[in-house]
Amino acid sequence: MVMNIKYFAGIALGLATLPLVFSSCTEDAADRGPAAVVLDFNTRWDGGDFQVQEVYTDQFGNRIRVDNFKSYVSMVKLFRSDGTEVLLEDFYLMDFKNDNRYTFDDVPEGTYNGMQFYLGVPPAYNKDQDPAQYPSSHPLSVAGSQGMFWHWNTGYIFTKFEGKADTTGTEGADLLHSFSFHVGDDPFLRVFESFDTPIIVERGKTTTVHANIQVDHILGNGGSEGIDLATDAITHTSGNTELAKKFMDNFVDAITLE
Amino acid sequence: MMRRGRLMLALAACLVACGGSALLQDEAVGIKIPAHFPAIDFPEDNAPTRLRIELGRRLFYDTRLSADGNTSCGTCHVLSAAFTDGRRVSEGMQHHTGKRNAPTLANLAWMPRFMMEGGVPTLELQALAPLHDTLEMGFNMMEVIEKLKHDEALTALARAAYGRDTLDPFVITRSLAAFQRTMVSGDSRYDRYAFEGKKDQLSEQELRGLELFISEKTRCSECHSGVFFTDFGFHNIGLYEAYADRGRERVTYDSLDMGKFKTPTLRNIGLTSPYMHDGSIASLEEVVEFYNAGGRNHVNKDMRIHPLGLSAQEMEDLVAFLNALTDWNFVQRTDLMPYETE
Ligand code: HEC
Ligand code: HEC
Repeated sequence: MVMNIKYFAGIALGLATLPLVFSSCTEDAADRGPAAVVLDFNTRWDGGDFQVQEVYTDQFGNRIRVDNFKSYVSMVKLFRSDGTEVLLEDFYLMDFKNDNRYTFDDVPEGTYNGMQFYLGVPPAYNKDQDPAQYPSSHPLSVAGSQGMFWHWNTGYIFTKFEGKADTTGTEGADLLHSFSFHVGDDPFLRVFESFDTPIIVERGKTTTVHANIQVDHILGNGGSEGIDLATDAITHTSGNTELAKKFMDNFVDAITLE
Repeated sequence: MMRRGRLMLALAACLVACGGSALLQDEAVGIKIPAHFPAIDFPEDNAPTRLRIELGRRLFYDTRLSADGNTSCGTCHVLSAAFTDGRRVSEGMQHHTGKRNAPTLANLAWMPRFMMEGGVPTLELQALAPLHDTLEMGFNMMEVIEKLKHDEALTALARAAYGRDTLDPFVITRSLAAFQRTMVSGDSRYDRYAFEGKKDQLSEQELRGLELFISEKTRCSECHSGVFFTDFGFHNIGLYEAYADRGRERVTYDSLDMGKFKTPTLRNIGLTSPYMHDGSIASLEEVVEFYNAGGRNHVNKDMRIHPLGLSAQEMEDLVAFLNALTDWNFVQRTDLMPYETE
């Protein structure tokens, strides 16, 4: 995937247009190597590692196996304390069966006090947009979106979280109960923000930011509203907007920076 | 925007070798439309050209667009049935039964929103739906492209028509839409009567039916309005007390939109049975009986749907009028058929 860094000043949330590029990297610094930031999304379960297609037990006693977990992350930005910001990337489609480690070279040096991104695709790029207009390398294109847009409707599916569970509590039982969360549409866009962890960017150094997604928290283990897959197993947004909302609220709360 | 009946200057010549032999040269073409229809507002990136329409026509009838290799758009949208398929609900891939009745594709060039709940904003984008819907063609655009890119003649056509390197999603969505915009239908006996001054075109009975259709008594023409016989709006007509298909509510999440569907055109309605979003009404006689009975109770039912008190004769007259909306020239147009049968 192409990493294009776009710098711009401004504090607006939910920018409608692509930011202007007004600077590349500082001229005399090239010999000192890049000032790189790595953003590494990791999935976690109850303090340990989480992998797609492994079986875990949630706080309701349901044994679950997530088979497909994908999500758009967009408008990834760093903030300086004076309110100016740097846009690292506009769109990513994360597929949690792979690593989701993104490297940004040539980030302007400095101390950043916050990071922000959307879970989902912001309105200006979402509804009534045409995936066929993007080159196939683009995460919003027909190929790049990997099925993450509604075809009978309009707009992108922000997150897919689907798999099988056993909700009977029977030891050794097969996982027969399907769950499927396809959440999209403007009202379900969520903003992640963290101003707790300063991010220091220096020439010749690579700063790694770990964004941990506590998958058990998405189902409510972290104190957010519980999603018991025995009863709340399916939402394609339409048909169960309440569950879609709960899912996205929990999802954004399940992310912490390290 | 392009006006009816006028030929645009030939686009900058696109010269491309076709299958290694003939040269392909594209040119802008006008779409023939009846004088009583408004002009078509073509999208900027998809003005009609000879090759765009040809490519769309080839793809429309190409079964390589489906996973099982048996289904094309033309399987469910059959010209002789005004681009419907005569089934209650569409049968797609491997005989999965779809959930909805295949609608006519006539006069889509003027349609503001597509699909029965109106979720899809353009005809170009609509083409992505059957290519993704597991119930329809069970296929994915990228797999289609993988299959088609070895077809040199098609690829050459794609290049000449859109000036792009390959047959990509842009070309597929645009060309299918370009072809579908040529599916213009406005030459029924009713049109000749109403817009060409040919008073002998409708029988006494059909004229009585027309009177009823536009009357205060039935108010049919308030929703099935204008030259396209639709207001393009969404209404609940009380087909069910509880709708299995939620209709417009699927895209608005508003319970007031439960059971609302886009008003279908009534052009060629005599050829497009069965009727309603789920094909649940078999004949026009039964549709008229349904309206006459006033539909079932539903909180969202439109006020205009209530018992009409039509006599048996009046119902027959209405049906006779609806049958006069068939455009027999449309369903015999060779330029809308697969190339092999032309
Ligand atoms: C398996 C049957 C089937 C196949 C194959 C199929 N369609 Fe359809 N088509 C339908 C059904 C059913 C609908 C109604 C869908 C809805 O509104 O939810 C529909 C709706 C449409 C509409 C929207 C019309 C309107 O009034 O909004 C268009 C346009 C269309 N199809 C074009 C195509 C094209 C182009 C192809 C090939 C790429 C195709 N269809 C393949 C069954 C089919
Ligand atoms: C309130 C608006 C409204 C009025 C009034 C109305 N219709 Fe309809 N009509 C619709 C809608 C919406 C549908 C599609 C409903 C569905 O599929 O659930 C429809 C469907 C139909 C169909 C089936 C079309 C198809 O392709 O399946 C016919 C035929 C029809 N109407 C004829 C009439 C006649 C005749 C009258 C007058 C007696 C009438 N309508 C009055 C809105 C209306």
